[in-house]
Amino acid sequence: MKQVLAYALAVLAVVAGWSALSYGLFRAKERVILPYPWQAARAAGEVLDTLALAFGTSALRFLAALVVSFLLGLPIGLALGFEPRLDQYLAPFVYLLYPMPPVALLLFLYLAFGLGEVVRLVVVVMALFFQVAVAAHGAAKFIPASHILAVRSAGASRWQLYWHVVLPATLPSVLTAARVSVGLGITMLYIAETKLGILLPPHQALGRFIEYYTFRGDIALAGVVALALLGLLFYVVLEILERRLCRWKYVGVKGGGS
Amino acid sequence: MIEVRGVSLVYGSGPAAVPAIAELSFSVEEGEMVAVVGPSGCGKTSLLLLLDGLVRPTSGQVLIAGEEVRGVRRDVALVLQDAGLLPWKTVRQNAELALRIQKRRESVDGILAALGLSGFERRFPAELSEGMRRRVGIARALALRPRVLLMDEPMANLDSLTRERIQNLLLDLWWEMRFTAVLVTHDIEEAVFLGQRILVLTPRPARLREVLENPGMGSQEYRGSPDFLARVRALRRILGENG
Repeated sequence: MKQVLAYALAVLAVVAGWSALSYGLFRAKERVILPYPWQAARAAGEVLDTLALAFGTSALRFLAALVVSFLLGLPIGLALGFEPRLDQYLAPFVYLLYPMPPVALLLFLYLAFGLGEVVRLVVVVMALFFQVAVAAHGAAKFIPASHILAVRSAGASRWQLYWHVVLPATLPSVLTAARVSVGLGITMLYIAETKLGILLPPHQALGRFIEYYTFRGDIALAGVVALALLGLLFYVVLEILERRLCRWKYVGVKGGGS
Repeated sequence: MIEVRGVSLVYGSGPAAVPAIAELSFSVEEGEMVAVVGPSGCGKTSLLLLLDGLVRPTSGQVLIAGEEVRGVRRDVALVLQDAGLLPWKTVRQNAELALRIQKRRESVDGILAALGLSGFERRFPAELSEGMRRRVGIARALALRPRVLLMDEPMANLDSLTRERIQNLLLDLWWEMRFTAVLVTHDIEEAVFLGQRILVLTPRPARLREVLENPGMGSQEYRGSPDFLARVRALRRILGENG
């Protein structure tokens, strides 16, 4: 309840700040630079179908990228972090490729994958995969020996060791890393949907929507707000997931009632 | 039940080699509870890992029930130092862990009740007192109904009241379940209270220094009796000699 109130207050503050900024810019330049929130809201109403479809498609696209990043990054990161020999030979590759911005490779990605759905997925996955893999790698390196001994002394197989110890021990840090990476992911999504989305109609991508309405500032701004809400949505979903799957982390700790 | 024949254990090789155990031999009869004491860092935990099949001896042989130990055996259970509970599993899931890993479907309700943990099945380790955590660690091992129970300082760092309670509990369970037990401890009184025989090890690498017979053990009344105190004094003297 307290948290809902905090969010409501934050929304109010953002709207107030935005309005003040719009007014200030209007007075300074004597023409409309930044439309007011209510103008953006009215514009959103005008193209609501298109905006809703764009939001839904972008959400699905981001979800797909997130799932693929986990499916690839989690096993690779955990195996590298937990198997010293793999770590020795393969971790340098990960850390060498990690800082490389996929944006710098857009041309090559376009040449390799064309302008379809695949290339957009690849760009977002390239960013999120490393976040997940690096977090999993770091967490898997520091699993207390007693946890491993606990299952090994019962005769656990390697698979059981991963299932009972390595995965649950690292899940909290991996989910936190994923949550923190949502901002980066949304940026990559925007780039993928504009630079590599020029063939898309505005209702098939939020990025494309914003670009398509460049000359209708109020509508474009509504698209930007939708993009921010998309990020918030995934942030909240990942946090709920973490609280559910890692309930043990929160027992005995006083947390905000939500 | 347990036979250790001329076992040596060396960690690493070459100039960095660290001998942990040297030429150690002893045996434990079926149903016997033996306490192992020695200076800290002398290789007591290594000995348990050997008996549990988690580490292979560099030379010599470990036999359990007449068979050479070549890996983890299903009739041997290990209680870890500080319980070794998995914080993401509830009391029930922790107690069931070893059973489930061995794909056994038995219930743990009985053993949880015997250890006074009924009603706490859904709690996480972080919600328990240290004494309860240790009992969950013991429950996890005993849930396997092992023929051999290995214990690595199961009562270390507990307040004395809790420690005595768990010692009494362990004694009761030993009478009831009739397992063979090896208890590693650095607590002299605990060794005298729970060990039918007490093996005293030398500083690293561990050799057998002395075996103290302790026929009086077996009841809670033994604690504090003149006989008990005499053994404690004797053991303290033996351990004191090597500083």
